[in-house]
Amino acid sequence: MRISYERSGGFMGRKLNFSVDLEELPNDQAETLNRLLQQADFFNLPKDLISRPVPDEFNYIITVETATQSHRVRVSDSSMTDPLRPLLDDLFQRARTGKG
Amino acid sequence: MFTQRMVYCILPPYLLREIAQRGSPAQRASAQRAIIAAEQVRSQRRTIQANSAPMEAVSAAGKQRYVYDAKQSSVLPGILVRKEGAPAVSDPAVNEAYDGSGTTYDLYYAIYGRNSLDNNGLKLDSSVHYQKGYDNAFWDGQQMVYGDGDEDLPAPERLFNRFTIAIDVIGHELTHGVTQFAANLDYSGQPGALNESISDVFGSLVKQYQLKQTAGQADWLIGQGLFTSNVKGVALRSMKAPGTAYDDPVLGKDPQPGNMKDYVNTVEDNGGVHINSGIPNHAFYVTSINIGGYAWDKAGLIWYKTLTEKLGNQSNFQNAADLTYAAAGELFGTNSLEQNAVKAGWAEVGIIIGGQTQEGCFKATLRKLGLSGLLKG
Ligand SMILES: [Zn+2]
Repeated sequence: MRISYERSGGFMGRKLNFSVDLEELPNDQAETLNRLLQQADFFNLPKDLISRPVPDEFNYIITVETATQSHRVRVSDSSMTDPLRPLLDDLFQRARTGKG
Repeated sequence: MFTQRMVYCILPPYLLREIAQRGSPAQRASAQRAIIAAEQVRSQRRTIQANSAPMEAVSAAGKQRYVYDAKQSSVLPGILVRKEGAPAVSDPAVNEAYDGSGTTYDLYYAIYGRNSLDNNGLKLDSSVHYQKGYDNAFWDGQQMVYGDGDEDLPAPERLFNRFTIAIDVIGHELTHGVTQFAANLDYSGQPGALNESISDVFGSLVKQYQLKQTAGQADWLIGQGLFTSNVKGVALRSMKAPGTAYDDPVLGKDPQPGNMKDYVNTVEDNGGVHINSGIPNHAFYVTSINIGGYAWDKAGLIWYKTLTEKLGNQSNFQNAADLTYAAAGELFGTNSLEQNAVKAGWAEVGIIIGGQTQEGCFKATLRKLGLSGLLKG
């Protein structure tokens, strides 16, 4: 399974992109990400959670690809849902430090 | 040094008439006095220097600031930690949000006669300490939200300081509120980049107003002080020289263009709203330098009038150029120094007053290839 994180917008307008293969992660980290995806009910989320543009907030596109399915969700700071937030937080920490 | 009581500006007649009609009783009285004074002086073909009395009357009315602590969570607004009139607290982020929104209110009120974001005394809510490691600030349609930068990383890895540290960022966010209540520019493509630029323009003017700097003295940077010493850069953007604010191994290079020929077509960032804003930003800078003096006095007034009376939600750069030119003519006269400065400002970024709206290079290429259909739907 591959997870991609793309952050755009923000006051600075700087992109932050990151992707990770779960197969290449230590078991405990892969399990954590799997659990966060399930908690978010990721594959059943609408494609676009952003209902209106909010000046300067971050926009995120999360793409998850498995052997059998692929799903992409667009979300922002103000449209983030509680079940989805822990997944975004985890991915952000990986993205900002460049650690997979 | 100037004190709060002094007047830095010459209020134009149209604005005085607005205040005389719509202001509080005290404002109306001082505006009436100023109109009479202006008419007396105008007959002698001299500029007026208003005395300090009218400004005293309009100070501090209606300013309602509330600062909240989100305690590193995403729950807004958080816990109220300072309200209007309360003394400073020990948390610098709280005081910066309080003071910065106050100076922003003062600029709009004292210079443009605007009573808060909605011109009706709307309270100014700010939340600080939003999330952890949040290197950003935004206006959510109702309030300002500020992150602490990279406070959660080890010092040698930090790139950003807290976002309240730069008063122009605070002015920028509040101006999104003004725009929302005025032209309500779409936050996408050229109207979105114009929306961004207007926030940079008045954000920078808030800083210049606080520092009492002329156009020539100002640094025209946006977000100076936000980068830690680990970053090779002076600020997030430069209105004086778009594209030169930073060039860093981690952050990359400032991508802002300063001319239409370098307009960036992209789908990210709502169509590059934080990138292409460099073009109208630079037009404002050149206009201000050509006029001279305090940029908020004349160039700022021209932009303010355009924002509140002329622009619509779909306005593009060409519309902004034409309408600022018209506003300058109405405020200062046809072919006045100020109107010519506006024309020269836009010419510098490749936009000719009265010119055709240029289709972007990307669109033009698609059209030549017979692929314009790709742009629809
Ligand atoms: Zn903005």
